[in-house]
Amino acid sequence: MSRSARVLRVVLACVVPAMLTIGIPFANRVEPRIFGLPFLLAWIILGMILAPVSLSLIYRLEGRSSR
Amino acid sequence: MSPAIVALSIVGLVVGGTIAFALYSVRRIPMDPHQYIVAGRSFGAFFLWLLLAGEVYTAFTFLGAAGWAYSYGAAAFYILAYGTIGYIIGYFLLPGISDIGHARGLLTSGDYFADRFGSRALGVMVGALQFFFLIPYVTLQLTGLQILLTIAGYNAYDARVGVAIGFLLMALFVFSAGLRGTAWASVVKDGLVLAAVIFAGVAIPLKFFGSYGAMFDQVQRAHPTWLSLVATPTNHSVIWFVTTVALTAIGFFAGPQNMAAILSARDGNVLRKNAIWMPVYQVVLLLVFFAGFAALLIVPGMKPGAADQSFVLVVQRYYPAWVVGFIAAAGSLAALVPASGLLLGGASNLVKNVLGDGLGVATGDRARTLATRVAVLSLAVLALGLWLVYSKTLVDLLLFYYNGITQLMPGLIFGLVWRRVPARAIGAGIAGGLLTVLTIFYEHADPTPWGINIGLLALAINAIIVVTVTLVWPRRAVEAPGDTRRQA
Repeated sequence: MSRSARVLRVVLACVVPAMLTIGIPFANRVEPRIFGLPFLLAWIILGMILAPVSLSLIYRLEGRSSR
Repeated sequence: MSPAIVALSIVGLVVGGTIAFALYSVRRIPMDPHQYIVAGRSFGAFFLWLLLAGEVYTAFTFLGAAGWAYSYGAAAFYILAYGTIGYIIGYFLLPGISDIGHARGLLTSGDYFADRFGSRALGVMVGALQFFFLIPYVTLQLTGLQILLTIAGYNAYDARVGVAIGFLLMALFVFSAGLRGTAWASVVKDGLVLAAVIFAGVAIPLKFFGSYGAMFDQVQRAHPTWLSLVATPTNHSVIWFVTTVALTAIGFFAGPQNMAAILSARDGNVLRKNAIWMPVYQVVLLLVFFAGFAALLIVPGMKPGAADQSFVLVVQRYYPAWVVGFIAAAGSLAALVPASGLLLGGASNLVKNVLGDGLGVATGDRARTLATRVAVLSLAVLALGLWLVYSKTLVDLLLFYYNGITQLMPGLIFGLVWRRVPARAIGAGIAGGLLTVLTIFYEHADPTPWGINIGLLALAINAIIVVTVTLVWPRRAVEAPGDTRRQA
């Protein structure tokens, strides 16, 4: 795996965990509401949606080099 | 016919039918320990998905998540967050563990520790701990079952008899069908739970409030602190949220039942694909939260604990008996199917690592399968007994499970990435972590300063001990054979 691919893989792996831990204090609010949902809940749902996206990108990156 | 009889018969038929279906599906499989405990390491992506979903989304999630949304509001969202992070950690961790399991013929987490750190004693210690921690986790499922059966019986019967019968039936089922049986039973369970949750999380809020937006408007008006994390003496702070998410995400795959699922995978890629798609299943939990918030407005005033039954109570009050029956049946399967996996995970650790490697009993294939079956039944009876005696302190027991089981994580991770770690470092780390948990637990110092999660504190102490001991007194001979670490 090339150096840039390796860096990209680490970044992709860290986005969602960062959103859902250190990002929480910043997302901890009710307004603005997103589709009627409180902002904090919408933020966590966004993390849930991004998790499969980032993992499948990582899977492709790995596939190109090792599998 | 009275509504209680309609609802309870549906529960009985569904649970009985599921067991019969699963038994029929495994009827031709000859049972040796590898078939019985890790299903011959043959599961592809679909079965593994069912098995993992079956074990992660239990009756306690089903009822507890709604109960938490009802009682504490936004603090409950931690359940969505930790699962999502847990799968991301799993993507990187699980394939390596599974590869080693294949190469070295491992059956349990105790085996993994014994093999990686070259110490049978460590395997015995881990096996015993796994068994010990599982008991409270199983008893939790029984409480979930009791809530569902009480509601399906329209509060007219003592549900404890039903719980005992259902649970012993399930133990007998695992006795004969092993891990494959649990996976097949999960097929039915997942379908029903999905239907039940869509009903509870979509139909109920829309019927009573018209839209989610309108529902959250009302929650906001009635309970202004419910939709974000507001630290009050009685509520949960942001720091509590973040540290608890961290602990539970790290400990997500540490249980013996998870190890069995990991080792049953055909290869590492199956586990990677699973980790990619499992977060989708979290939608189920989201719907359960909606049901919990709806219940908060429809049947207000329930105490924490009692609130676990909140949304099922809404169903009982406003919907016909057959709906109650199907919801309770789905929930009962969500208690019993994971419980069957838990029984198997705990029993296999006890028999393989403590009895077999520790005491030299039941080491042949036939004897080991038989002993595991007997241990499944003993664990079931033990859990049932504990449940009858200590049913009041279950929330404490759940915290104890997570705080304790997570202390195995340094060993699971270092076993993959750092070959100089000696068994004594892992053993000392686990002991240090558990002592921290026990001290804080019995001093009742919870909540800790700023609401930091106890288990995370203990895990930090654990990891520091492991690293210190390794640096001061590293492992000498690091043998190469069997080291199947993947080039990541």
